[in-house]
Amino acid sequence: MLVIKNLKASINNREILKGLNLKINPGEVHAIMGPNGSGKSTLANVLSGKNGYKISGEVKYLGESLNDIPVEERAQKGIFLAFQYPLEIPGVNTNNFLKTSLNTIKKARGEKEIDTIAFLKLVKDKAKELGIDEKILSRQLNVGFSGGEKKKNEILQMKILDPNLIILDETDSGLDIDALKIISDGVNSSRSEKKSFLVITHYQRLLEYIKPDHVHVLSDGKIIKSGSSDLALELEKKGYKKLN
Amino acid sequence: MNENFKISPSEINKIKILNQKDKNFRLENLKLFNQQGFPSRSQEDWKFSDINQIFSKNFKNLESFKNEIKPKSINFIKEFDHNHILMVNGKLENSEFKFEDKNKIKIKSYNESNFSINKEENSLINLNNALSNNGLFLEVVDNYRFEKAIIIYNIFTDDLKDNLLNNKNKIILGKNSELHIVEYNINQSKNKFIYNTTENVILNENASLKTINLQANQNEGFFYKFSKGKMKSNSNYASFIFSSGPKFNKIDAEFDLEGENCDCNIKSALFINKDKHQEIKTKINHLVPNCKSYQKIKSVVDAEGKGVYQGKIYVKDIAQKTNAYQLSKALLLSENSEFNSKPELEIYADDVKCSHGSTSGSVDENSIHYLMTRGLSKKQAIRLLVNGFLNEIIGDIKSNSIRKFIENKIEIQIHGY
Ligand SMILES: Nc1ncnc2c1ncn2[C@@H]1O[C@H](COP(=O)(O)OP(=O)(O)OP(=O)(O)O)[C@@H](O)[C@H]1O
Ligand SMILES: [Mg+2]
Repeated sequence: MLVIKNLKASINNREILKGLNLKINPGEVHAIMGPNGSGKSTLANVLSGKNGYKISGEVKYLGESLNDIPVEERAQKGIFLAFQYPLEIPGVNTNNFLKTSLNTIKKARGEKEIDTIAFLKLVKDKAKELGIDEKILSRQLNVGFSGGEKKKNEILQMKILDPNLIILDETDSGLDIDALKIISDGVNSSRSEKKSFLVITHYQRLLEYIKPDHVHVLSDGKIIKSGSSDLALELEKKGYKKLN
Repeated sequence: MNENFKISPSEINKIKILNQKDKNFRLENLKLFNQQGFPSRSQEDWKFSDINQIFSKNFKNLESFKNEIKPKSINFIKEFDHNHILMVNGKLENSEFKFEDKNKIKIKSYNESNFSINKEENSLINLNNALSNNGLFLEVVDNYRFEKAIIIYNIFTDDLKDNLLNNKNKIILGKNSELHIVEYNINQSKNKFIYNTTENVILNENASLKTINLQANQNEGFFYKFSKGKMKSNSNYASFIFSSGPKFNKIDAEFDLEGENCDCNIKSALFINKDKHQEIKTKINHLVPNCKSYQKIKSVVDAEGKGVYQGKIYVKDIAQKTNAYQLSKALLLSENSEFNSKPELEIYADDVKCSHGSTSGSVDENSIHYLMTRGLSKKQAIRLLVNGFLNEIIGDIKSNSIRKFIENKIEIQIHGY
């Protein structure tokens, strides 16, 4: 699904990713852990196609190089990033935005656009599943949403857009225990042979809910250790310092 | 047209003069205009909109009058019921008050009711005083509340070219009366012309006037409107301006809050593209205690466009418990777009609540990226952000049908972007 070879990324003349290698097969869940500032969000941004980075190395998604593929095409091809800090977009109605987004993606995939009634039903069902208060969907996108509501809204978008490669950047941070469970259920119910997840987190706790196939430690722009889910437990006990 | 554009006194002979006093007044104003020429950047009020330079760049000669001509067919608004007034090149053509008690409304053309505004140091008003020959006089008697809005269709005919039109409007609302006006400008001319209006608004005790001014179609017109308002106690004025189309548009509003407990509210959404130049200027004079005023101006500037907001709140020493608020926000879509704002407070009373602020900046790259990760193209993302930016102000319009109508107009403008 995703193959990353010797990926380097710098911004403002500062190298942040320093030769990163990663391979994710279809259906797998990979977790990335690592200290603050190690480059986890940068990796997520680079995979989403964000502008402003100087990049070398290779990123292949479904066998195709992503190097020259712009942000929106990556999204249309099924790459989804749940943001660590979802942005507030004043004046833009959440429901309208979701519908525009879904229909743009459908159109790009050559699928039939969804009409308003079918869309509202879809959103309603998914929102209910995720325990999202429907009222927030008629509000401005993320404006004044609580931290947890923002994160839930990211998962709602994931559910509606139905992507293949899903990157969750600290989606668990700031969630209460019930919300964590709801979001994990949301992710688990989306797991399939065809979908892969890259879960960035600081907490082993999340990985009890979303069982990863592989855990990687990212430190100073490189993956310094990979292992099974036991690695997360070990990190929880020892911290990052003792790894080397 | 050269730097010192002058108008011959013989032009005044082309106007149907009421009496000698009228004639003297016109001659005197013409003299004042000829001494000054069009306002230029050396004057504080015109610092960011040097109209002398703008006019000399765009006009070689100017014809001050225009033969009467019928407009091409007009798309009347069908979305909602309304009364209407039809103005063609500033001349009152006809009116229809289907939904109202006609005895409560006086409507005349300017020719039948001379009136003027005196304002020193503004040669465009001198020019207007000298040459006005058209306009609208509208009065609503005491205690009459309109059932439906009036739409003033302001049509500019397609034969306008290098013309300079001057006209005057006056709107008087009697005590306890209420009116909602939509001023809908439709410009059929593809050429350049100047439309110079002065407007006088008088709101008596407890009267309420809501106005919406729409300049939506792309055109080559140069518009200047000076609006002078006087508000008696408990009166209410709420104005919304959407301007996008004209090559140049300056709306200069000055309101005197003369009676206690009045509320003066001006909101504006500007969408300025290409090489257009638009300015909103407000001056709110709090002359008595316990009044409220509010101005919120949101501007989107693209390409080589230029936007300006100059706002002044004046609070007289006796005007205690004044509550005044002013905010200008501008969104710049291109490196060549420009927005200038000059917010000013002049306060002589000590027990007041006044605040003002002004921001301008480009679209947030991170917001664009966020929307693009949801499949939207960059253009779509920017449109959505622009729409959202303006929506914050348009969302305040209470009438659903009018709001939808405006949203639709804005949508068209933004999609053309
Ligand atoms: N635009 C930028 N210019 C300069 N430095 C940057 C920029 N963006 C990120 N950095 C730096 O890159 C490093 C990695 O940042 P990143 O956000 O990827 O870390 P992270 O692993 O996600 O951290 P956290 O766990 O705190 O979320 C940090 O030191 C950060 O300050
Ligand atoms: Mg991060």
